[in-house]
Amino acid sequence: MRHLGPLEGALEAFVRRALYDPNAVADVLQSAIEAAYRDFQLYVEGTNFRAWIFRFVHLEILNNNRKLERTRLATLPADVATEDVWELALDEPLFRELLDDPDPVLERCDDALAQAVRELSRSERDVLLLRAIGEFKYREIAEILQVPLGTVMSSLARSRTRLRERLVEFGKTSGMLRRETT
Amino acid sequence: MNCDEARRHWNLYHDSEGDVELHFRIEEHLANCPHCAEWFHKQGRLEDLLVHKLTAPAPHPELWNRVLVASGLVKPAGARRWILFSGLAACAAAVALLVTWSGRSAAVGENDLAELTGRCHERLATGAEPLQFRSDSDLEVEDYLRRQVSFPVRCPPRKDAGFAVSGAGVCRLAEQPAAYLAGHVDVIPVSIFVMPRDSLAAFRNQPDATQGRVTRRRTGSLETVFGVIDRNAVLVVGKADPATLERVLRAYGTYPEHH
Repeated sequence: MRHLGPLEGALEAFVRRALYDPNAVADVLQSAIEAAYRDFQLYVEGTNFRAWIFRFVHLEILNNNRKLERTRLATLPADVATEDVWELALDEPLFRELLDDPDPVLERCDDALAQAVRELSRSERDVLLLRAIGEFKYREIAEILQVPLGTVMSSLARSRTRLRERLVEFGKTSGMLRRETT
Repeated sequence: MNCDEARRHWNLYHDSEGDVELHFRIEEHLANCPHCAEWFHKQGRLEDLLVHKLTAPAPHPELWNRVLVASGLVKPAGARRWILFSGLAACAAAVALLVTWSGRSAAVGENDLAELTGRCHERLATGAEPLQFRSDSDLEVEDYLRRQVSFPVRCPPRKDAGFAVSGAGVCRLAEQPAAYLAGHVDVIPVSIFVMPRDSLAAFRNQPDATQGRVTRRRTGSLETVFGVIDRNAVLVVGKADPATLERVLRAYGTYPEHH
């Protein structure tokens, strides 16, 4: 319990963002915590409890999402040994506008952002959320997801680019970003 | 390093990952390229806003209560009612005692972050409080702290910032969890305190928590330099001059994964 307390916010946010079924948040957390509690004798005091509990939660999310596997799950990319490039397949002028003043778009993008996260591939979504919400280092994410470090790096780079693409798209369609005519 | 190359590595730079050499080269480029420096800053800000969005909203206590009760980790509210009543009575008695004992003056400084870290630094520097973990290895110290605290911590500052680590530990400042790195700059004892940025709300006269902004303060003979790095609030405390402490602060966490 004393280990769990400080992590409640991050665990809940992680489940809410990663789970297909928004009504299953409590069930998933409960199943994960029960499983972790059952296996608690395997936890070595003084080791990384955050990574340990997130692994249980991640597995439970996977199980639950499988039941509702309605979205296409992009196959995991082959391991990339080097860092993926920061490719900006973006509308550059609009993206610059977003960078200059992101607040108006960010203030209203809740639904678009949630949708964008849902549309990421499983690997991209898991890596993005473990980094953003769990604040894990790349090495820890690789351990939690049982994937190579290169996959973590490439998935993270791609997911960040995709979120930016969706923000630009949202800003454009909602009229908040306008290409300046010269 | 050119602009394209630097921007391609933004992820690694932003997340303090990758190798030392890469970080040096990027910093060198940023120092000479205002366009990229601005681009990096804006990308970082956008990422911070996105992360904030992704982590919101705050946890729901009632959901956790349900989860923990159903998991058998806590007893249902009904069974705990008597604990609540006796707890309230005990709290009331404790408050009354505290008021009687401490008076008004004792409150001053009890939750002043600079004063608390200053006192803790003095105890560490004089040996009144032994280091919980002794090592002059950045890697060992980082690994130790990452096992001890639930919030993110980074490695000690790079050696080129002049900080030589000698150990680390965890403590509580006004009931907030904190990690400390103890060491020296030249022969002057210097401590670095690291907390989750969100903890700042618990402190009186809390310093400006704007990312990238550095605040200096003198408390008695001690200098304190404060800044927010990623999601950490970081204080560097010692009798060294503030510019030196600021250099250490800015170098905190710039050591990447495999150093």
